[in-house]
Amino acid sequence: MASFRTLARAAGTIAVLLSTTAWVQAADISFLTHWGPDTVAKLEAAAATYTKAHPDTKITVRAVPFGDLLTTLRSSGGGSDGATIAGIYDAWLPDLSKDKLVAPVPDAIAADTKANWPAGVVGAASIGGTLYGIPNEIDVYALNYNKKLFEAAGISAPPKTWDEFLADAEKLTDKSKNQQGFGMINSWAAGVLHPFASLLVSNGGDLVANGKPVLDSKQAKETFELYETLIKKGYSDPAMATADANTTGPFLDNFVSGKTGMIIMANWWESALKAGMGDKFADIATAPIPVGPSGDKARSISYSWMTVVNAKAPADEQKAAWDFLSWLNGPESGPNGASAMGDILMSMGILPSRTSDGKAFADRLSGDPFLKGYTDTLADAKGFPVVLGGQEFSESLQKTLEGMQFGQLSAADAQKTAQDDATEILARNAQ
Amino acid sequence: MQRRQNAQAAVMLAPATGLISVFVFVPMLLTIWLSFQAWSTQTGFETARFVGVQNFIDIFSNSSIGRDFKAALLNTAAYTALSVVIILPLSVLLGLLVHQKLAPGGIFLRTVLFATYMVPMIAVALVFSKLYSPTEGPLNQILGWIGIPAQSWLSSPQTALWSIVLLNVWQQIGYFTVLATAGLTQIPDALHEAARIDGAGPLQRFFTITLPLLGNTLLFSAVIAIINSVQVFEPVALITQGGPVNATNVLTYHIRRVGIERAQGGLGSAMAVTLMLSLIVAIAALFAFARSRAVKP
Repeated sequence: MASFRTLARAAGTIAVLLSTTAWVQAADISFLTHWGPDTVAKLEAAAATYTKAHPDTKITVRAVPFGDLLTTLRSSGGGSDGATIAGIYDAWLPDLSKDKLVAPVPDAIAADTKANWPAGVVGAASIGGTLYGIPNEIDVYALNYNKKLFEAAGISAPPKTWDEFLADAEKLTDKSKNQQGFGMINSWAAGVLHPFASLLVSNGGDLVANGKPVLDSKQAKETFELYETLIKKGYSDPAMATADANTTGPFLDNFVSGKTGMIIMANWWESALKAGMGDKFADIATAPIPVGPSGDKARSISYSWMTVVNAKAPADEQKAAWDFLSWLNGPESGPNGASAMGDILMSMGILPSRTSDGKAFADRLSGDPFLKGYTDTLADAKGFPVVLGGQEFSESLQKTLEGMQFGQLSAADAQKTAQDDATEILARNAQ
Repeated sequence: MQRRQNAQAAVMLAPATGLISVFVFVPMLLTIWLSFQAWSTQTGFETARFVGVQNFIDIFSNSSIGRDFKAALLNTAAYTALSVVIILPLSVLLGLLVHQKLAPGGIFLRTVLFATYMVPMIAVALVFSKLYSPTEGPLNQILGWIGIPAQSWLSSPQTALWSIVLLNVWQQIGYFTVLATAGLTQIPDALHEAARIDGAGPLQRFFTITLPLLGNTLLFSAVIAIINSVQVFEPVALITQGGPVNATNVLTYHIRRVGIERAQGGLGSAMAVTLMLSLIVAIAALFAFARSRAVKP
């Protein structure tokens, strides 16, 4: 009888241990991102640090090109076998939350997020007051210019107005050297749209107001005409503007190799410029977006990224994912009171959006002239519109602007097409 | 007895035909059914709502949906036509070079040509995106040496589709040359010999013997080339993303964008059904053309 009891206890203990082990090893989470190999290695290192203290959680990182991120998220990331965590662009959030692919942030983490991030960034990660992701990066657009080319063209300071901008673009254009004054971008929706939107807001206009497109405004008309002038006068060469699926390509090559005088781009491409230019990166400077005839001050557009959790993942994976994200974005995970996420972002020249990260990296942000040009712009930046059908709206406007770049549409036709298409797309997606 | 044999045959055929039904007919029928529904690909089929032919009206309308679809359909048709028109004659020409016995190197040439077919598309895309670079690409540098001005290749809506076609021809030509060579080996030498004795020159022999007897091979090649071309996806996804100005936005890429990226499953299915019908019509027309040529004396 005693032997039977001993055997039964042993069996019970083994059963408990086995079940505990099974429970302990259950949290197998994956993180889907579009970051490059160097940054992925940093994220993996942070995950390894976390799993040392949390051996019950296994974290793997999956990386895809930016051009495939949304498709990957929709085709596999949204299922129960898809990525548990994904880094997403705020413009995608309305559609992903409508399709119930992203889980709301648990209350405790949501309260912490609301207390430690700027309200505007929290708003961009929320739909109907519900927070769906922990914000991490914030990107803003500014004018980048090549100081050596400015010097050679006899230009002493970056343009402050559109008139100065056009005059400088003319001086910087030299067909004999295959050199363009201002670099546009094509074949990449954000690359086409964001510089245009930055000029539009710096002219006092907007893409969307109160959920309705306002591309039929006077400010938009002037912005379309500015683009038309740049193309017609040859200050911008669309053949030098192509981007590829990794958001690199000829447009970057031409700026890096000193064949583009000015370009409007976001802060995140600092690492790409450094990698492509080496010591010559010191030739690049940042300035506010020139102010248009209807604008009152230099403005720009901003957008944010956030990490979301797959709503269809098992509950234990979701719980483990939120715990990891809370740590990754918290002030204990990085150096000197910064978050590990902030540290990863700063390695790419990306501005972290957590308030305490701004303080932790204050010296570096103020000491880096390239980034300082962006942080100075941030206060007057407008958030890129976050609406249902945002991706379709962006791709439609991309096509119209590219049509104008290649001389297929006049400024007036482009403006009408853009407004008509945007009205139809936003109305249809809002249904 | 006969009934029993039929039953046994049905039982034995059932696994194979069942698998074909599950993996071929069910997805096709499902796509056709979805083309009449409003449905988000991120939700279950139970959320699909019947909308009749509205999706088909939308994709042929003048809205942005319709304009983009019609442009993608035209791009696909142009890509397919250009690919077939270039690949077929070139494969016959190269097949003749491989097949000829007047000079050595036929087998070497066939190996070199077929090697391009074995290179993974990701490698081809990486190499061609650099070759086509307008300012720093080797192709423009080579053209410059012989006095031809730099071309815009993938950077212009006028030339981007052509550039993707050239990439396709470069990669596919080896496969079609092997097909043409196989067809040429089936033509008896005695026919050429007899024609030569009768005084027929090389061109006359080519047009009266070689080309007519290659008819079945060329028909097969044309069908495969059309199907391959209509399914083009990788070079567009890897290099151009459908741009610039949607000049390389072919239907497979556009359906992926609409059906997956935007989750508009009903519209995407209507586009897929239209593509399938277009392909059926094109292949049927090709067979009809071949049949009409065959009955002529």
